[in-house]
Amino acid sequence: MSICVSADKVLEKFILSKKDLESSFNRVPDQEVKCAFGMQGICCRLCANGPCRITPTTPKGVCGATADTIVARNFLRAVAAGAACYLHVVENTAANLKAIGLGQSDISLKGTRLLEELSSKLDLPGNNVGEKAVALANQVIQDLYRPRHEKMELVEKLAYTPRYKKWTELNILPGGAKAEVFDALVKTSTNLNSDPMDMLLHALRLGITTGIYGLGLTNHLNDIIWGEPRIRLAKVGFGVLDPEYINVMVTGHQQALVGILQDGLSTSEAINIAEKAGAKGFKLVGSTCVGQDMQLRGAHCQQIFAGQTGNNFTSEILIATGAVDLVVSEFNCTLPGIEPVCDAYGVPQICLDDVAKKQNAEYIAFSLAEKDTIIQKVIETAVERYKKQRPSVKVDIPEHGYDDVVTGVSQKTLKEFLGGSYKPLIDLIIAGKIKGIAGVVGCSNLTAKGHDVFTVEMTKELIKRNIIVLSAGCTSGALENVGLMSPSAAELAGESLKAICRQLEIPPVLNFGPCLAIGRLEETAADIAGELGVDLPELPLVLSAPQWLEEQALADGSFGLALGLPLHLAIPPFITGSELVTNILTKDIEGLTGGKVIVNGNVEDTVNELEAIIMAKRAGLNI
Amino acid sequence: MQRIFINKSLCAGCKNCEAACMAEHTTHRSLWLVNLSDPSNKPNNRVALDNSGQPTPIFCQHCDDPACVTACMAGALTKNPETGVVEHNRDKCAGCWMCIMSCPYGMMHTSGVYEDTAAKCDFCAERGTPRCVSSCPTGAITLRTI
Repeated sequence: MSICVSADKVLEKFILSKKDLESSFNRVPDQEVKCAFGMQGICCRLCANGPCRITPTTPKGVCGATADTIVARNFLRAVAAGAACYLHVVENTAANLKAIGLGQSDISLKGTRLLEELSSKLDLPGNNVGEKAVALANQVIQDLYRPRHEKMELVEKLAYTPRYKKWTELNILPGGAKAEVFDALVKTSTNLNSDPMDMLLHALRLGITTGIYGLGLTNHLNDIIWGEPRIRLAKVGFGVLDPEYINVMVTGHQQALVGILQDGLSTSEAINIAEKAGAKGFKLVGSTCVGQDMQLRGAHCQQIFAGQTGNNFTSEILIATGAVDLVVSEFNCTLPGIEPVCDAYGVPQICLDDVAKKQNAEYIAFSLAEKDTIIQKVIETAVERYKKQRPSVKVDIPEHGYDDVVTGVSQKTLKEFLGGSYKPLIDLIIAGKIKGIAGVVGCSNLTAKGHDVFTVEMTKELIKRNIIVLSAGCTSGALENVGLMSPSAAELAGESLKAICRQLEIPPVLNFGPCLAIGRLEETAADIAGELGVDLPELPLVLSAPQWLEEQALADGSFGLALGLPLHLAIPPFITGSELVTNILTKDIEGLTGGKVIVNGNVEDTVNELEAIIMAKRAGLNI
Repeated sequence: MQRIFINKSLCAGCKNCEAACMAEHTTHRSLWLVNLSDPSNKPNNRVALDNSGQPTPIFCQHCDDPACVTACMAGALTKNPETGVVEHNRDKCAGCWMCIMSCPYGMMHTSGVYEDTAAKCDFCAERGTPRCVSSCPTGAITLRTI
């Protein structure tokens, strides 16, 4: 059987041992032949005259659209879809914070200190915690729903000031987030906008809405509801599964929704039900980014949260352990491929948000007011599977993962860890002991050399060259499962980084958790830039989303470009069919925001290029 | 000997064989990077519609009795007796275009890169399997040993 290789060799061996399992890893060879026109972004099917494709003998679509117009349209549509995904998440999160603030739920806010801080920073009204939560949620929701001609109010208060000035100068401050997405769709519809530059600037506006609202504010609001991250050691990998418990696997990006299960499955009543069924209790098993989020805030749900198992492409395989009793999903990355695996292992699925409705899943519309009913349904469904299927299904949990992954790293905990200021880190950078910082972020895919192969190889090379790596997204799932986020990974780092890691007992790859935490990385970068008194593009900092997968990653990337950061991708974002768009994104945009896209599919060359950028930025700072 | 076979009922008209041929004949060989707006990039194959509107891949047949070889006065076109491939030697090509006029399938063309010479399918001499064959998503283009 030919399968896609993985950087995670234990996982790969486990997949090969499951002869009857069909997963994404098996489908990669079948899908190896790619369409060159799709790859280059020059297929247009916006009207019935198409699909039109650009070739040397057919340089324009029937309507007259050039390769530049077609590529820019397709790119902006993808960024708009990605931004829409993250904005959906922040909207749900704000709605729940508001309901809690209004006293419509018995959930008590765990991050009240952060709520106080934000209320004061954002000048929000409110005499007590509840009123302040409502005011913050309302402000977010109002901004999301403003018309496009009204600028969102929190951007100025939350953005790094030099960046806000730059965005004002470039006229890319976003209007209401939903209206920006809406008009991106209008603009890219049939025979509307044909101006590549206008569309790329629109993508930057969507990047700003994604970063500040979809990422940053989602993090803040969830921290207020479920508690702020705390640095601690945690278990990761398939080894977190305990067959003596009833295991509920969670997939998605919305802790605001599945978070209700943290307390709901921990009550003595729930444990009694589990015990009657023959189990010790319930466990929430982290999969995809919502698991990373739970792990990041794991200090607040230590008993119920079993640990993070991996990333998007380990989810099908996780079900094939037989130890999962229910899948609760609420967003991507819930692969369609999990459905036949669930069927084969008798695992029911419950979906809490119809944007991620799976064909075989039972849909229960999430509502905080219906919290107890949802919890009850989850308990009943999971218990039923445990009782009926567990005796007949072979449970096979491989020895996989690590027990000592450093988690809970955030913009605040990292600073606290360093003694309340980034100065110690800055001093190490100035002294050259740490050459620079690389944010290795985004997704996991099965194409850039295999599952997580590029991500892992590049990260190893970066730390070897004394470049510290901060990770957020499915990249974290990859890096923690191969041991790079455990303190012992220090041994793989260059001499000076190794010494620092040993002294501080930290790994050279810091785990910020889910892709939403790309917002935390960027707040960290702004804090460091602030302490140095420089703008973000001046920092010896590079971003890489080597194995980017989806439209959300392109929205994240657009934020990175708006922030003025160099952004590496191992696979082009479907733009190479247009020389103009490719040149703007990989060269000319540097003159506008300071950032640029770097496309390189070779690990060694990539690290050389990223290191050269870091060295040039160091020289620019005279260090 | 190996030959490319066509099952046109499977052809979806995606033109991936054209793009793959162009990519294979650039220095980087990359499907991501081949410039599909550059008229000097010319595929050695093409997809056309037949009289009933069915997309049909059209390829060099590497004929048993190749009209292009017969027509070539410069000796640039030869039929390799071992592989059966009709080969074109650009160094010998005089650019007289007799081959273009004589090919019944229209598979000889002027090279976009070297304007003074002809060009044709080289059966991807440096690859085991011609790139068009491995790039066809539907199985319309296959390689068979005859």
